[in-house]
Amino acid sequence: MDAVIEVNDLVKEYIIVKKESGLRGSLKSLLFPKKTKFNGVNGISFSIAPGEIVGYIGPNGAGKSTTIKMLTGILHPTAGSIKVCGISPQADRKAVVRKLGVVFGQRTQLYWDLRLGESFELLRRIYQINQAEYEQNLAILTDVLKLQDFINTPVRQLSLGQRMRGDIAAAMLHSPSVLFLDEPTIGLDADAKLAIRNFIKEINRTRGVTVILTTHDLDDVEQLCSRIIVVNNGKIVEDGPIESIIHKLTPHRMLVVELQKPCADLSTPNAIVIKQEGLKIWYQFEKEAISASELIAALSQKLPIQDISVKEPNVEDAIREVYKTTSSV
Amino acid sequence: MVSSFKHYVSVASCWARLAIQRQLEYPLFLFSWLLMIPIQYFSGIWMLKIIVDRFQALNGWDFPQLTFLYGLGLISHGIFVVFFINTWSMDHMVINGGFDRLLLRPMNVFFQLVASYVNFIGLIDCIPGVIIFLYGCEIAGFEWSLVNIGKLILVLIGGILIRAALFTSLGTIAFWTKRNGSMVGFALTMLERATMYPLSMYPFFLQALFTFIIPIGFISFYPAAEFLGTDNGGLELPLSFALWTPLVGIICFLIASGIFRFGMKNYESAGS
Repeated sequence: MDAVIEVNDLVKEYIIVKKESGLRGSLKSLLFPKKTKFNGVNGISFSIAPGEIVGYIGPNGAGKSTTIKMLTGILHPTAGSIKVCGISPQADRKAVVRKLGVVFGQRTQLYWDLRLGESFELLRRIYQINQAEYEQNLAILTDVLKLQDFINTPVRQLSLGQRMRGDIAAAMLHSPSVLFLDEPTIGLDADAKLAIRNFIKEINRTRGVTVILTTHDLDDVEQLCSRIIVVNNGKIVEDGPIESIIHKLTPHRMLVVELQKPCADLSTPNAIVIKQEGLKIWYQFEKEAISASELIAALSQKLPIQDISVKEPNVEDAIREVYKTTSSV
Repeated sequence: MVSSFKHYVSVASCWARLAIQRQLEYPLFLFSWLLMIPIQYFSGIWMLKIIVDRFQALNGWDFPQLTFLYGLGLISHGIFVVFFINTWSMDHMVINGGFDRLLLRPMNVFFQLVASYVNFIGLIDCIPGVIIFLYGCEIAGFEWSLVNIGKLILVLIGGILIRAALFTSLGTIAFWTKRNGSMVGFALTMLERATMYPLSMYPFFLQALFTFIIPIGFISFYPAAEFLGTDNGGLELPLSFALWTPLVGIICFLIASGIFRFGMKNYESAGS
């Protein structure tokens, strides 16, 4: 099937004026500004198929938001091409944004002083949603996001979790085929996060909505995304299914052993001691080299073991590993 | 074309309703405006009267004519403030990324900027304007013929468009400079001085500036001179000024919307 989003060699250049400290510095940079070019996004290419849920992640300042803003037509790229549903957002913004739903977790599009429902009515008119479709969508959204408790409450009185659900509903009223979520679970409690994750799964399953999610919450990524794209310093550093990235970046597992009494010789083939705290010892080993049970068998012959546990690597470790290795560029 | 017009009207009327509801949420704010605005403008006309009484007519304009001029300028200011007040806060929108949401919707961005807030409190600005203008008409002997009423409407529309174009162009500067708050205050003062007093009392350089470069002389001065048959005492232009004002207004507005579109391309949004 054709890609929903097709991005080629995308570049966004910013001009930064270097400021020097003090009044003298301020005057100097006013008269002779030292301008440097800086590529916030530096040659990104990817394509996203219909129905994918993609996690777009990276450290602060990596170029995530800039990319999302170019994809949605807010910013103009310096170079490169973007096609969303076959159309360039820069050439025909209005046609593209009809097909998009966008939620910025840190900002709301709802009217602060008015009932939630008033903002929905405005959106119905803006997107020219016909009454039957509007009512049907609203009924579904109300059901899944449990809006009925607060649809008549002024937005300023909503809790953050309620407001976020309202914002997501607002972005979905016109049945977009692509949903961009920029940190949708930021600052939410466990219940609200769960509700939002369930909703994303639900619309993806029932309506085939393509979802692009940027987040710092790696639980979101782990539970929702079949694929992640990791960016750092304006470049894509990883792109692929979540398991294979974890495996590729952190092939190690950890065995934590607690001894009954101190021992002098702790060494064992195929595993290395990376940490020791009193009687607790951390062994790191490669999945391919030795299995956990073999290692345990080997160790228990040699050492008086009190307790034992195996730690699997997780997304967080993998991502931290990526950030670390790519930040020094 | 027709359906797109209907679309925009339907959205604009919904926005107007929401704006009124939002403003009614804060009744005390409304009340303070109701108190302050008339004081401001009536004291303005009182000052004029003192100046004219104590000294002499301003460049051949006596008190009734000045009242007419001042009233005409105030009405177009009042209507402008109702419909275009968002052009005053464009720099805030540039700094905090407020244009993002407008760009995400399938409608013209300038339309959204303007229509999303109808400042009906601004109608209070119109009340002293209308009173002063009607009083000016009465004492200056303005003839309420059908032709004159038609011309008056054209002049008001033109004057509002000139004001809108001025503030849109100034607001657009924020796409490059990020801040232009003081520009709004500066423009308001300039507008008040150029629409409240006869342009002809200023030196030639300023007259030319306010006629050809920043044509705010067309908001009230030239039309008032024609309506009252006053010798405008300054520059001569062919044709009726009542017809020049809407034309100048439309041209300015088109130029301003071009500048706005150009500035929009330079929009950088905000972080996060």
